[in-house]
Amino acid sequence: MALFITKRLLMALATVLVVAVLAFLLVHAMPGSPGAVSLGAGATQEAIDEVNQRLGWNDPLLVQFFSWLGAAAQGDLGISLIDGRSVSTDLASRLPVTASLAAGATLLSAVLGIALGVTAAVRGGTVDRIIGGAAGMAVALPAFWIGIIFVYLLAVQSSVFPATGYVPFEDSPQDWALSLALPVITLAVGGAAFIARQTRASMLEALQQEHIRTLRATATPTWKILYVHALRYASLPIVAGIALQFIQLFGGSVIAEQLFAMPGLGQAVQNSVSTHDAPSVQGVVVIATVVVVAVNLVLELATKFLDPKLRAS
Amino acid sequence: MIPNVAPAPADSAEPTAAAVLPQAPRQSAAKRYSGSKLLGSPASIAGVIWLAALVAASLTAPLWLPFKTEDQDFTAVLSGPTAAHWLGTDELGRDLLSRIFASAASTLGTSMITVIVAVGLGTLLAMLAAAAGERAENAISRVTEIMMSLPGTVIILAVIGAVGTNIPLIMAILGVLISAGMYRVILGQAKSLQSQLYVDAAKVDGVSTVGISLRHVLPGLTNTIVVQSALIFAVGMLIQAGLAFIGFGPPIPQPSWGGMIQGASQHVYDAPWLMVPTGAVLALTVLAANAIGNALGKSPNATASHLPSAAARRQRAKAVAAIAAATPAPEDAPKDTLSVRNLSVGVDNGVRLVTDVSFDVEPGTVLGLVGESGCGKTMTALSLLGLLPSGVSVTGGQILWNGKNLAAATDKDMEGIRGRDIALISQEPMRALDPMFTVGYQLTAAIRRLRGMGRADSKAEALSLLEKVGIVDAARILKTYPHQISGGMAQRVAIALALSGRPRLLVADEPTTALDVTVQAEILSLLRSLVKDTGMSVVMVTHDLGVVADLCDQVAVMYAGEVVENGRTDNILDNPRHPYTLALLAADPHANHAADMPERLATINGQVPQPKDWPGTCRFAARCQFAGSACLVPIPLLPSGTGDGVVRCVTADELAVDGLDWVATDVPSHHVLNLVEHRTAEKDHA
Repeated sequence: MALFITKRLLMALATVLVVAVLAFLLVHAMPGSPGAVSLGAGATQEAIDEVNQRLGWNDPLLVQFFSWLGAAAQGDLGISLIDGRSVSTDLASRLPVTASLAAGATLLSAVLGIALGVTAAVRGGTVDRIIGGAAGMAVALPAFWIGIIFVYLLAVQSSVFPATGYVPFEDSPQDWALSLALPVITLAVGGAAFIARQTRASMLEALQQEHIRTLRATATPTWKILYVHALRYASLPIVAGIALQFIQLFGGSVIAEQLFAMPGLGQAVQNSVSTHDAPSVQGVVVIATVVVVAVNLVLELATKFLDPKLRAS
Repeated sequence: MIPNVAPAPADSAEPTAAAVLPQAPRQSAAKRYSGSKLLGSPASIAGVIWLAALVAASLTAPLWLPFKTEDQDFTAVLSGPTAAHWLGTDELGRDLLSRIFASAASTLGTSMITVIVAVGLGTLLAMLAAAAGERAENAISRVTEIMMSLPGTVIILAVIGAVGTNIPLIMAILGVLISAGMYRVILGQAKSLQSQLYVDAAKVDGVSTVGISLRHVLPGLTNTIVVQSALIFAVGMLIQAGLAFIGFGPPIPQPSWGGMIQGASQHVYDAPWLMVPTGAVLALTVLAANAIGNALGKSPNATASHLPSAAARRQRAKAVAAIAAATPAPEDAPKDTLSVRNLSVGVDNGVRLVTDVSFDVEPGTVLGLVGESGCGKTMTALSLLGLLPSGVSVTGGQILWNGKNLAAATDKDMEGIRGRDIALISQEPMRALDPMFTVGYQLTAAIRRLRGMGRADSKAEALSLLEKVGIVDAARILKTYPHQISGGMAQRVAIALALSGRPRLLVADEPTTALDVTVQAEILSLLRSLVKDTGMSVVMVTHDLGVVADLCDQVAVMYAGEVVENGRTDNILDNPRHPYTLALLAADPHANHAADMPERLATINGQVPQPKDWPGTCRFAARCQFAGSACLVPIPLLPSGTGDGVVRCVTADELAVDGLDWVATDVPSHHVLNLVEHRTAEKDHA
């Protein structure tokens, strides 16, 4: 187990490093030098050159990369070319928004998806077909379209929820929850459908295992076979599905943040890509990777812990 | 926003009851994804029509569209559907119908780029990993793991920052990211194809690695590739629309579905209709692609479930009530005697698996159910416990046990019988135990439930049961998980589990088949002593006549779903009356004594017919050396003349008088052996 954890940690580190290199190269391929971007149109070539010189743009690529990596390791992701603010500070204030959004959507997807998937597998017949049909519709509708419809129905028509904006938790926990509700539900529709399908298939597979027959042969009550034994057997692929879903929802927050005007990482990456703000793009790519990789690692360890075969070895 | 194309979970759900259910003949890979399957579901037909119509309409758009995409009609801004604008107009009075259809071809076309890159690269990597050995596979798998754990959306946006909104290039890079998921889906299948015997044979013949991959592995992957292509196509469209929605679509005047929905979202307050047409077309197109993928892929089927769904159980309850109404209340029978009368079992689609089977099992005796695979032995045995897999049920007859007809008992009634009166041991002990729970948990839970004991008592009882089945370090075994013990040990645990409710009848479905020969003998002797000590009776399903001779008091020989001979073991083994019994004995290496062991062991030509092909005549006639014209009528079960034995054969008396032997016959496998020898000789020569 210790060996396994060490291996996975190294893998995670390697992933982040690969992405750091990738992000660095991408940013260097962006049109316009940092000087040109930060000074904007109308700047003289001398001024641009001067800024580029100061930011080390003319140094060899390797030198630039390692000086960035060294600073990043200490939590300094550089300074925005557009507004001169520290990228780290900016992203630190944005991370909680995206994290609550992605975590909330994953949680809701998991709860709804497992409940629906188990119900479909256990009840069968018409119930199964209805849930299957709904899940099929839900994965076909784009999240942004669903989000707009929710805004129209729940915010515009009945004003149950605020249509847009984000209230930090520290300001008012209640308004924080209300401001998150619509974006979270929007993202969870597709997520829940995915997990429901995964859960249904895993439950059906579990019920095809021969030990289910042994349990019935020893008069185990049906509820116990379903919710203790089969669900326990199905839990491994379900947790793996939830891990995949988190990656997806973390990315999906770009759309939700745009739609609901929330100041998260997604909005940051969208803005900085549009304005060619290299340090911001680089920073947000690395931060997003670190979060996704870390959550994946935790869920993977959870999967291993759920499996007696792997736990013992 | 970038869905990882996860392995289709349904694919792993292999129907375990397939062995007993009528199977369609194996189809070639090419046939499996062709028309029949695609046109098999209405949803996929609709999907194909929609996609084809969309592409055709879009490519011919300049010819028929009423407006150009940029035509602005200021008399009808933000209008709903009208005679002039069938789907309404946007904020600049542009015709929605024209814009949606004009942009369809480019949306579908660029999504195909993602499909081609993802599927091509993923398949290539998988075939490479499967062909090049473990080290290469590990390296490729590591790389794809990294790719799968990336926040794809953020990476794609960073790429857009570097290259601009070059849609084809972005969709290609998206394809690279998705190829990791594709690789994972394909790898297992490519590896299993690569390890097929015919691939080994091709290798020996000197076919190059590339040749093997292209000729033997790739064709087998076709179906999966087509299924995944359809699903990735849908994903590509959704992502492309999502990018356009957040402002990274095609350059401004050019219409795109995502961009149009973005425009509509600005007017959700004053013109909500604007959301509908584009959203519907996008959703329908994604649905169409998914429907095609799902129709071609294996859908999870519930038919092999060991616990039928609530809907299936309701249906079965109705069928059971019908049987209960159709058959009279059972007569008074001696205690703990099992009487099976005219039992029939069938698949719900009408195929019969067991017909008109009758036998009795007295307390303290062992009945052997013998026959080849596919003769209905296991189905007969499982029906005694009401544990037939879903889709299979008792269609007639009675199973009488202590004054109850179990064939007509409700599931609730059966719950009172299972474990307490009748218990089960199955063929594969490793799979019969729940891998997620310790032996101790499974055993004590059963004891507490079946015997109403407390926690401490049940643990003591579990220890004593394990000792009773011959496990020495019972305390240690209680703490282990099934995967930590050997097959023989697991079968002992499974027997202890079956004994936990002190059953009066034990149904043993080939309990030694999956075990090593030495362990088989131990388990058989354990069963024999259990019968002696507890006085319970046993129904033993087996194809091993040695086991029958060793353990059984009575034998019922089954062929193609019916009993062909039934009687006392010694009578039947010494004086078989049915040609099938004769043939089984002649083909059994253990039943022939060393002295009269023939030079070549007898074989039975052909194989047991599929249930749907059972003839109305003698079902064995086609394989029988003694069959004549008299065999081509339905044959009743008649007294065999020895004891209370019965036999289903018109030539039984002749056989008894003439003392005929079943003679060895040539079978095609000898030709195969010859061929192999021939080839090896040739190779040596070269």
